[in-house]
Amino acid sequence: MTIARVRPAIFFSLLALLVAGALIVPHVANRGVVFLSGVVAINVVFGIAFNLAFAKAGILSFGNAMFFAVGAYCAGYLITQQNHLPFVVILLAAAGCGGLLALVTGLLALRRASGVYFAVITLAVGALVHVLIMKLNFLGRNDGLVGVNRPIIDLGLVELDLARGDAYYYFIIASCALLVTLMWVLWSNRFGRSLQGVKSDPMRASFLGIDIDRKRLIALVLSGSITALAGAIYAPWAQIVTPELAHWSFSTMPLLFTLLGGSAFFLGPAVGAILFGLLDYATRSLIGISDLLVGGLLLAVVLSVPGGVLGLLGSLLARVRAPSSPRREGRA
Amino acid sequence: MAGDLITILFNAMIWAMATFLVASGLTLVFGILHVLNFSHGGFFMIGGYVAYTVLSMFGADIPLWAYLVAAIVASVAMGGTGVAVDTLVFRRLKSVDGVYVLIATYALLLVCDGVVKLIWGLNYLSVSPPRELLDVIFLGGAILPTFSIFVILSGVVVFLVLDYVLNRTSAGRILQVIAIDPWMAGVVGINVSSVYRWTVITGFALAGLAGGLLVANQSLSPDLAGIFILQAFGVVIVGGMGSVRGAFVASIFLGLVEALSATYLPNYPGVLFFATIALVLIVRPEGLLSRQATT
Repeated sequence: MTIARVRPAIFFSLLALLVAGALIVPHVANRGVVFLSGVVAINVVFGIAFNLAFAKAGILSFGNAMFFAVGAYCAGYLITQQNHLPFVVILLAAAGCGGLLALVTGLLALRRASGVYFAVITLAVGALVHVLIMKLNFLGRNDGLVGVNRPIIDLGLVELDLARGDAYYYFIIASCALLVTLMWVLWSNRFGRSLQGVKSDPMRASFLGIDIDRKRLIALVLSGSITALAGAIYAPWAQIVTPELAHWSFSTMPLLFTLLGGSAFFLGPAVGAILFGLLDYATRSLIGISDLLVGGLLLAVVLSVPGGVLGLLGSLLARVRAPSSPRREGRA
Repeated sequence: MAGDLITILFNAMIWAMATFLVASGLTLVFGILHVLNFSHGGFFMIGGYVAYTVLSMFGADIPLWAYLVAAIVASVAMGGTGVAVDTLVFRRLKSVDGVYVLIATYALLLVCDGVVKLIWGLNYLSVSPPRELLDVIFLGGAILPTFSIFVILSGVVVFLVLDYVLNRTSAGRILQVIAIDPWMAGVVGINVSSVYRWTVITGFALAGLAGGLLVANQSLSPDLAGIFILQAFGVVIVGGMGSVRGAFVASIFLGLVEALSATYLPNYPGVLFFATIALVLIVRPEGLLSRQATT
């Protein structure tokens, strides 16, 4: 599999385009669409964090829902029970919890199993987390946590009241853009390229002096803590945290975004998340169709467009460019 | 006390054989094709719904023969679906990396969920056991429903038949050869792709059979696939991937864990089960009973 080259100018202009598009939404659409748009922005982070481990380090996790849920529950619990804490501290605590869970999972399983086996282990750990969340009293058992209010951020001189109007929506867009940028740096710097080496040829990478187990573990921990952050940002947006977030079917989401958009591209999961958001919105009135949609779409992508939408666009572009170039010369 | 012990053992065996019925086809397909088929639970579930539809013609009073016929209908229907899945999915993904195959079967499971929700709806459906099996037996203070004994016997019979076919017949030996080295099997003149197809058909037929036999064991809902596939995965992992005997022993082991947990930790169902699986994976990632380490 090829990985697209790093082009900072293109990345930042695409990111600016996405952010601009997201900022227009509240001015042109109703509250339902604004909510969905916020969810899509969080899903973009959810998807890219998954792909950071999947495409870069070759780690397939079927348990990313547990990181998301741990982040969301951490934020939900702290906001409802310890509301004197600054929101930034809550976010950091959530990221820490997600990272810790990823560290434990990785230490237990990464060295011993890879590929399909690791995927099944993450599934089992995720199921364990789901059962625990459903049974723990302080996490609200089956009902989850309700009344997760949007916080007020105290910046010393000014206070940002995120509960007012669309303030929390703008907060989501800003923090997601920040996280995406952070992941882009991780994806394209030395660290990202060494992960690439570990994935393509673990033996050669270890001959070159790369500690491959360590690199994989770091990739998983980063993916887990960023996913938990996405979950923590999600909790006040939905204002309710339910055990469904930890259910293993929710772990399909980042996989779907990634494969739909194209796992070889950094922004592949972003494209996938946006496309899925549109499809979800278009089919919202058809009950029972959502599983069929997610499953059928995923199956179709794996079977016929393994490169995802971006991969398909890339090859189409190449095909269009090839025959058209002589014509352009003739005209000139 | 003796009654408690018998109840625990009995509950362990019900769980074990119900799960083994699902895990048998899963481990068979994995052993031969090296495909970990997530959608197995989905086809098990559809098998159950098919049997439900057949049995709904009989109303509440179901004769045993009709119950068995419904299970066979479900089995044949799922075997037929296996042909379609093999042609459309498994064959196309032969040269693709294992993780993509896993993702594809995961997607198939979601499709199964969606199909069930569309055709049979979200409500819980249930079938009563056949009229010959509505009694209970009292044994040392424990109450043993005859239908549960039927489930346990079904599991044992399926295991004995599979074990006989795999180890004592020429077809079974061909399967073992292909599992070890498909290329060499092709060289000596075995039609590998035909054997693959029949393995998939058998695996799916086993899923359908399990769905039909267990249709009265629990209520039917779209959650059924997820519950059983996780249990079956546990059994297959602990027993050593691809080993039918391993799956049989592991299902009894995990059944005991599950029954003990239900008796002594009733507020935390599943915790001990997943903790045991995690522990087994940490100590012996290749499974408790496998002879060699997975590479």
